[in-house]
Amino acid sequence: MTTRATPETHDPFDPIHLGIIWSRLIGITDDMWTTVLRTAVSTIIGAAQDFGCEILDAEGNSVAHSNRSMPVFNIVMPTVTRAVLERHPVETMRPGDVYVTNDPWLCAGHLDDIAAITPVFLGDRVVGFAVTIAHTSSIGGSLTSRTVRDVYEEGLRIPVVKLYDAGERNEAVHGFIRENVRTPDMVVTDIEAQMTANELGGRRIVSLLREYELPSLTAVARQIQAHSERAMREAIREIPDGTYRSEVVADGLDHPVRLRCEITVAGDEMAIDYGGSDPEEPRGGINCTLTYTRAHTVYPRVPALAERARQRRGIPTVQDRGTGGLDPELQRAGVGGIAHADRLAPSPVDLRGARAGRAPPGAGRQRADALGARLRARGGRSLLQCPFLRRGWSRGEQGEGWHRPQLLPSSARNVAVEVFESRVPVLVHDRNLRPGSAGAGTWRGAFGHRIEFGPLPGYERPLSFFLNPDRLRFPPKGLAGGHDGPRTEIRLNGELLGPEEIGSGQITLKTADDRFEVAVPGGAGYGHPAERDPALIEADRASELVSDG
Amino acid sequence: MVATRYAISVDVGGTFTDFVLFDMDAGATAAFHKVLTDAQRPARAVIVGWREVLDTVGARPDQIHYAVHSTTIVTNAIVARTGAKTGLLTTQGFRDVLEIGIEQLYDIYDLFAPYPPPVVPRELRREVVERVTRDGDVLEALDEGSVRTQIGDLVGRGVQSIAVSLIHAYRNPNHERRIAEIVAELAPDVSVSLSSRVAPVMGEYERTSTVAADAYVKPLLRNYLQDLLGELRQLGYERPLYLMLSSGGITTAEAAMEFPIRLLESGPAAGAFAAGYFGTLAGHDHVLSFDMGGTTAKACLIERGKPAVAGLLEADRVHRFKPGSGLPIMAPTVNLIEIGAGGGSIAHLNELGLLSVGPQSAEADPGPASYGRGGELPTVTDGNTLLGYLDPGYFLGGRMALKPELATSAIERHIASKLDLGPTDAARGIHVTVNENMAQAARTHLIERNRDPRDVVMVAFGGAGPAHAIEVARLLGIRMVIAPFGAGVASAIGALTAPMALPLVRSYMTTLAGADWSHVERLYNDMREEASAAFSGVPGAEAPQYGSALDMRFAGQYHELRVELPDTIPTKGRVGDIVGAFQKRYTEVYGRVPTGLGVEVLNWHLEAESSQIVFHLSKVGAREGDAAEARKKEREIYFGAPEAGYRTCPVYDRYKLFPGATLSGPCVIEEREATVVVPPDCTVGVDGYRNLVITLGTEAWA
Repeated sequence: MTTRATPETHDPFDPIHLGIIWSRLIGITDDMWTTVLRTAVSTIIGAAQDFGCEILDAEGNSVAHSNRSMPVFNIVMPTVTRAVLERHPVETMRPGDVYVTNDPWLCAGHLDDIAAITPVFLGDRVVGFAVTIAHTSSIGGSLTSRTVRDVYEEGLRIPVVKLYDAGERNEAVHGFIRENVRTPDMVVTDIEAQMTANELGGRRIVSLLREYELPSLTAVARQIQAHSERAMREAIREIPDGTYRSEVVADGLDHPVRLRCEITVAGDEMAIDYGGSDPEEPRGGINCTLTYTRAHTVYPRVPALAERARQRRGIPTVQDRGTGGLDPELQRAGVGGIAHADRLAPSPVDLRGARAGRAPPGAGRQRADALGARLRARGGRSLLQCPFLRRGWSRGEQGEGWHRPQLLPSSARNVAVEVFESRVPVLVHDRNLRPGSAGAGTWRGAFGHRIEFGPLPGYERPLSFFLNPDRLRFPPKGLAGGHDGPRTEIRLNGELLGPEEIGSGQITLKTADDRFEVAVPGGAGYGHPAERDPALIEADRASELVSDG
Repeated sequence: MVATRYAISVDVGGTFTDFVLFDMDAGATAAFHKVLTDAQRPARAVIVGWREVLDTVGARPDQIHYAVHSTTIVTNAIVARTGAKTGLLTTQGFRDVLEIGIEQLYDIYDLFAPYPPPVVPRELRREVVERVTRDGDVLEALDEGSVRTQIGDLVGRGVQSIAVSLIHAYRNPNHERRIAEIVAELAPDVSVSLSSRVAPVMGEYERTSTVAADAYVKPLLRNYLQDLLGELRQLGYERPLYLMLSSGGITTAEAAMEFPIRLLESGPAAGAFAAGYFGTLAGHDHVLSFDMGGTTAKACLIERGKPAVAGLLEADRVHRFKPGSGLPIMAPTVNLIEIGAGGGSIAHLNELGLLSVGPQSAEADPGPASYGRGGELPTVTDGNTLLGYLDPGYFLGGRMALKPELATSAIERHIASKLDLGPTDAARGIHVTVNENMAQAARTHLIERNRDPRDVVMVAFGGAGPAHAIEVARLLGIRMVIAPFGAGVASAIGALTAPMALPLVRSYMTTLAGADWSHVERLYNDMREEASAAFSGVPGAEAPQYGSALDMRFAGQYHELRVELPDTIPTKGRVGDIVGAFQKRYTEVYGRVPTGLGVEVLNWHLEAESSQIVFHLSKVGAREGDAAEARKKEREIYFGAPEAGYRTCPVYDRYKLFPGATLSGPCVIEEREATVVVPPDCTVGVDGYRNLVITLGTEAWA
């Protein structure tokens, strides 16, 4: 019998073995993700899952990330890792080093997101990085992020520093962090959770490299990047050449803000330009840093374009992928614009309200935008719990909107009312779908939610909530003849609060009878409502979410 | 008095209903049997097969001492949505808990990833006026008028079953219990499921999802079991019928009807027990069960004969088996991992042009390309056919002929030509990739349980299991694989080996330092009462053994670790031991213990168990003659090492192999439902129970 060439004897990066190694690496990031989730103590990480994990090569190129990672974090991780490498050359790193930073211009756009970067050693050589970014429970600074005037009021800025030096904790850095946040134990334990995940990732990377006798992750990263880039270029090539323009107006704080977006497609390249958007806002942290704008520009295009690739191949699948292959997307945003806050004149950035994800992409599909209301309860001491409340969204021509995965672009989850109530002296009176909140259409949007709550009877002290609502001025816009959704409605003891009355975003409840209500819109409709399937109309009526009118 | 000497086990699966008749006097299996499942009336196939399996050995129904049953009827009812019209009563303001879910995009690259529809539609979800606080205090009394109105209206709409899930009912169940009384009064024929009884744990979505699913399947399971029991009486079987729970314990039919959701993973749990039994029989404490079927593969670590039990699983994953795409069910379940990798898994190129296998499956219809039933996409079975692992003429014992030329052309068209490979290399790529997927899932499962794969023995079963097991074992570093005799009916065997057992749980969130120990004592008394009620009247099980476990975490964390406290009930005096056990477990799992944090307990478990195992295999004597008699022919089979290529290998008949025989790879061993593929440098022994014990060579041959 003849012996033939086989995959086993090819180089390790044939399409079969590269797929296997990559999928192993993604498995490692999933295990890192689970480790953060299970060992963190804050609501925002442990329950709402606002964090991400990634493996990068020794040059800071992305290799793999968890499918459950926060998308924006995945995309900024190479930026922040390279920032570490610039300041701390790889040859100066030692096993046991852990770097941290929350610089909004290097990391995820606001101070709340802390990156922990752990070099991975094979012998005495750095072969890659295990990186975790997580939203901390507190970073100090002002509680009313809508009123801050610069980034210094927003809290502690941690430059790129070693929190651990060859396994020894840097007590100065540790002390600075502890003394500048409202929930020091929680913050420190969460950073430890990130480190624990990175260590686990590092051990697993080393055993994978040994098994495949690879000297480092670099070659794997290059291959994955090359495959990703090819796929992305192919997908872009299918979009007709031309310039696509769009403009959206968002609530802003005191006045609406305008975001302009121009996408130029030429062959297999795409350029995205936010020039012409409104200038930076001097007050209230709604400006975006370029890293953040870039992340929100890149992320929605990955699933959108991958979907085209899926349809073309006729196989209903989507596989995990690294963040590589995004280079064809070039972005320019004028420095000093709302989508590119100037680092030299640091504007407030906490709320990042002008996120690029809001701009409808040029490809014509209606993308979900979502800025939920964020609620923070505060009693005599800081409780800082954070239940997300989501908007319903639309699926365009894909059909009916879902009620569930509503905060985009995000992989976080909500917090159970029973869990929320067990941690703060609050009683939730109502947490249901909001009737009438979906824009009508051939395919209507999903329904938004409403929540109504007040102090727990017997809790005597005033209770403050901090919120950053959107859609008070502008409803979600219908497409192709579909109707708009409603606006966000916020009520204090039944009284509707307008955008001006939200002010700093701090709402204080003084007695057990006080009631605070937030009702967020659903998605807008797609297509003319007259063409809606009568069976769906009947189902809507039965659900009591749509009135006959 | 009739002398009873047999034990019988019946496993109702989606396609086949399997039987094992065990002769307790002889310590040997008297007969294996398989009949097609009757989807319309499952009890009918059970009765037909029951009669047939007894006939094969001339046994009478009244000679059966013990009968145990595992079934997929509950899972199937949820997946196919064939359960009862069900209503849900919630606290005012929480009607949409089921629909809101956890609002998570479970795959960040699939914006349109779907969710299963709730089992109760909005018009049948109703609110009642009442409110209990986080501490269990009644803030607003139950308005019985609103309860009566809603029940009356739901019953008027034809609801046959009602689920009740009130906020914080795990802390104070009184309002739910009162609602059950009112339903019994107003509509005695309507069944009721209470969240405080089915899943008394914190988290309104998961608890409501569980109780709704329980209510949804309750009338159906009750009707099925009553039908079956009636038929069995007619047949002359008068003794009790026992059921296999998802947790791996055995319970009475009456208790099963009370909490049907606890049967969700009845069959897979039984399979894990079979693996544990065969591993223990061969003298191994740490066993990995590996069950690969047509659509999915399952793996489960079993330590000292007992699989680990998890508190939460997902039913009806609608999106390629992805976590997050199903209905969460809080019920103790054998902790196994399941991935979309089976004989029917489809091979394709992903967006990056890399080979990928599964999770989508060609299933039974149209099936793999080689079935010749219109399937055009290449599957794992097609790859195996091309590589010579499967005999096209002996698939399912020859009941179905495979068409290898269709397998080749599907692989050629969809994989090989696009990757510029020959069809053999592409087929090998499919085989290697699916093995790697399964090994990865199993590795994560083992590592999470802190078990080094090198200490583990694999027990392989399922239609595709034995063809892949040895390579998967090699990827994991496992050195021994056992392919049990009767692997085609492993779940039915497993149920015979499981003890009477009932896992119970109560939520009470407290710091360990500040616990109200009299409340803890009440919880445990309550659970003990429930266990003894379930065990009463079961011969030999009146005095169960109790063990406990706590779900613990550091104060503030959101995720718990389960810490076993064998042979003890937690009391104030044991706090030091409990903290020590938790810290030890935490260090094992995460590597480091955070400093300065207190310890919290969330859930308090009680496990009641009574061993009344009836299945004791005796050794079969060695026979004269060697393996050559079992050698039926030769064929060309492809292996990747030591030199990649096809080679001529012997094919053995499993049914002619007896204790003492030894074989060496490369070879294949065929039985009706499965084929064992033995690569070069492996040796095969047949042990005293006719199980194949495959020892892997020490040489790495990747």
